[in-house]
Amino acid sequence: MTKSSGRHVGIVGVGQTHHSRRRTDVSQAGLVREAVNRALADAKLTMEDIDSVVVASGPVLFAAVNQPEKWVVDAIGARGKPVVRVTSGGGAGFAGALAGYYQVAGGYSDRTLVVAYDKLSEGQLQYSISTLYDPFWGREFAVGIMGFSAAYWRARMDVLGHTEEAAAMVSVKNHKNAFSNPYAHFKKEVTVEEVMASKPLCWPIKLLDVPPISDGAAAVVLASENVAAKSTDRPAWIQGIAYCCEADNAPERSMLLSEPLAIAARHVYRAAGITNPRRQFDVVEVQEPYSCFELSYYESLGLCPPGEAAALIASGATQLDGDIPVNPSGGTMGANPIGAVGLIRLIEAATQVMGRSECHQIKDAKLALVQSGGGWANLRGCAVLSA
Amino acid sequence: MLSAPDTQAIDLATFPSTINLPYTLTPGRAAGTFLAEIASRRIVGCRFANGEVVAPAQDFSTRDAEDRYEFVEAPHAGVLGAFTQVGDAVIGLIQLDGCDNEFPHKMLAEYAALKVGMRVAAVWDEAQEQSILCIAGFAPAPDAPVGTVKPFGETAPPLESIPYRMQLDYEHAYGPYYGRMFDEIREHGRIMGVRVSNGDDALLPPREIDDLTHKRTGTWKTCENTGTIRGCSIINMEFIGQTRPPPYAYAEIALDGASTRLIHMIEIESLAWAKEHVRPGRRVRAIWTTGERTGSLRDIERFELIDE
Repeated sequence: MTKSSGRHVGIVGVGQTHHSRRRTDVSQAGLVREAVNRALADAKLTMEDIDSVVVASGPVLFAAVNQPEKWVVDAIGARGKPVVRVTSGGGAGFAGALAGYYQVAGGYSDRTLVVAYDKLSEGQLQYSISTLYDPFWGREFAVGIMGFSAAYWRARMDVLGHTEEAAAMVSVKNHKNAFSNPYAHFKKEVTVEEVMASKPLCWPIKLLDVPPISDGAAAVVLASENVAAKSTDRPAWIQGIAYCCEADNAPERSMLLSEPLAIAARHVYRAAGITNPRRQFDVVEVQEPYSCFELSYYESLGLCPPGEAAALIASGATQLDGDIPVNPSGGTMGANPIGAVGLIRLIEAATQVMGRSECHQIKDAKLALVQSGGGWANLRGCAVLSA
Repeated sequence: MLSAPDTQAIDLATFPSTINLPYTLTPGRAAGTFLAEIASRRIVGCRFANGEVVAPAQDFSTRDAEDRYEFVEAPHAGVLGAFTQVGDAVIGLIQLDGCDNEFPHKMLAEYAALKVGMRVAAVWDEAQEQSILCIAGFAPAPDAPVGTVKPFGETAPPLESIPYRMQLDYEHAYGPYYGRMFDEIREHGRIMGVRVSNGDDALLPPREIDDLTHKRTGTWKTCENTGTIRGCSIINMEFIGQTRPPPYAYAEIALDGASTRLIHMIEIESLAWAKEHVRPGRRVRAIWTTGERTGSLRDIERFELIDE
């Protein structure tokens, strides 16, 4: 499941679009191309240097183009190269990176380009997500991703103390951090009082707990140890990466902790030699579409014991100047092009350990944790990156 | 030697389902310009820096993804490269004169009247605007002169957004487990699951294999009309596809006798009332419809809170 005997894999080039509520000047393929060109330039490479390509995006219903990779490869000049599309809902970008990682670690390629995107302005987001539900069993009552996310939060509220105030603090922190992110498009500082008073959409989720809807793309070049130095003298090395699932509606499925994330973390931490995540990690990037998720991930990732997430955010430890900063980039609160977000989190963590974050460089960051996920909360993964 | 399993398909009623979604697609600069000009009966193409000429216009050369181009006006006639009958329509691949690419369009001729390599010309549809269907199709035109692409002067600003709608109709197969469950709902107004492999609790929806033990599930069991809220949220927004006006509560409910959750709705008096009363652990009861049952979860109209 994680790195055992494969080759070392480094992130040697990254690129993102300037995310936006709606890009009317480019097609989906044009959007992808922007991110790819930036990642290739960052890695000092051209498409000729790339051995294989992974395209990742969310459900095709988001933007009505089926099998979009065949359109994308033409636009990025990847004709004739091995290409696969990976999709895993909100975790698509991360799952794409995982697929690319395997290709390089396994010796299939020396350099793999992973590009992830979604152009959410084109379709009906919540309706599209409702089609994740069993058509016989629940779809007629589905409320996109928001209905069940709020329901799970409500369940955690009583048992684990994930209060509305605690989630509001997450929202305030991430909105503030997003303000300095050059790729974010939603830049508005908010207060706890404003979050608490914002309109309930699917209570307890309120308007300011919710990220924007975005068009955006992100790309990375993954390289083997042999060729990484051609691009950079300081890659972000992937020390472990895993993505796990749980049964959709199994008995005993916990609404409290994310079991697949805890399983993924256990594997990745073992591979990367992490025994005390709170102390060892310099920086963390999590995918928190809805502020309540970040609280849950603190616990599933072992940054604090179950039931102490509210205390962790209140303590200031996850702020920029805390001992375990979470989402210096602002997370999804600055931009949320869903299929790309897992890869964007990976990029934000990678640039931290590469020492060249464009948002808030955490001083001397050497070890970073990345989390991402998709499905309806039943697909979760994480990765450890090192300088 | 392998022998085929002794099973065969049985024709059973299916569950019809429709996904109907509106979109606003972004064509990008080249296709957007093509669509802006097509209403004026001009076919916009691109001449790329690598020399390739394509029409209709595209943002990237298919040869090497070159993105530097100038717009050209393509002639309205060309050569038929291939064709096929699709239902009542004949679709052809057309290469306009002076262009390097072929693109698909309707052929306005019988299949038998067509030949690969023949000259064809666009027939315009005056009723259409801002669509490739401004060209109704291509018809044989043996005498059409061979045209050339010409530089385009001023182009109209590209269309930025194209309304689009996709309706997808499905016929889902119930399978034996869902089939029995929905039959029971329709015929008897009761919810039945199957027991886990190693206990009395029912799995809902019923399934062949127990998720936890990976063994065959047990016998059928009727679940109660009462249950407990495991998770809930209060829906206070409107969205496309919604089946009732907000506010109402979305609830994941474990029916008594079942160990998995069922998703349904709880009617509420107000947001403030629901925050206080609709919460995990609360007991609820299914309220069945009084009308004719259809064999779906909608036969339960809603759940309501009960005091216990």
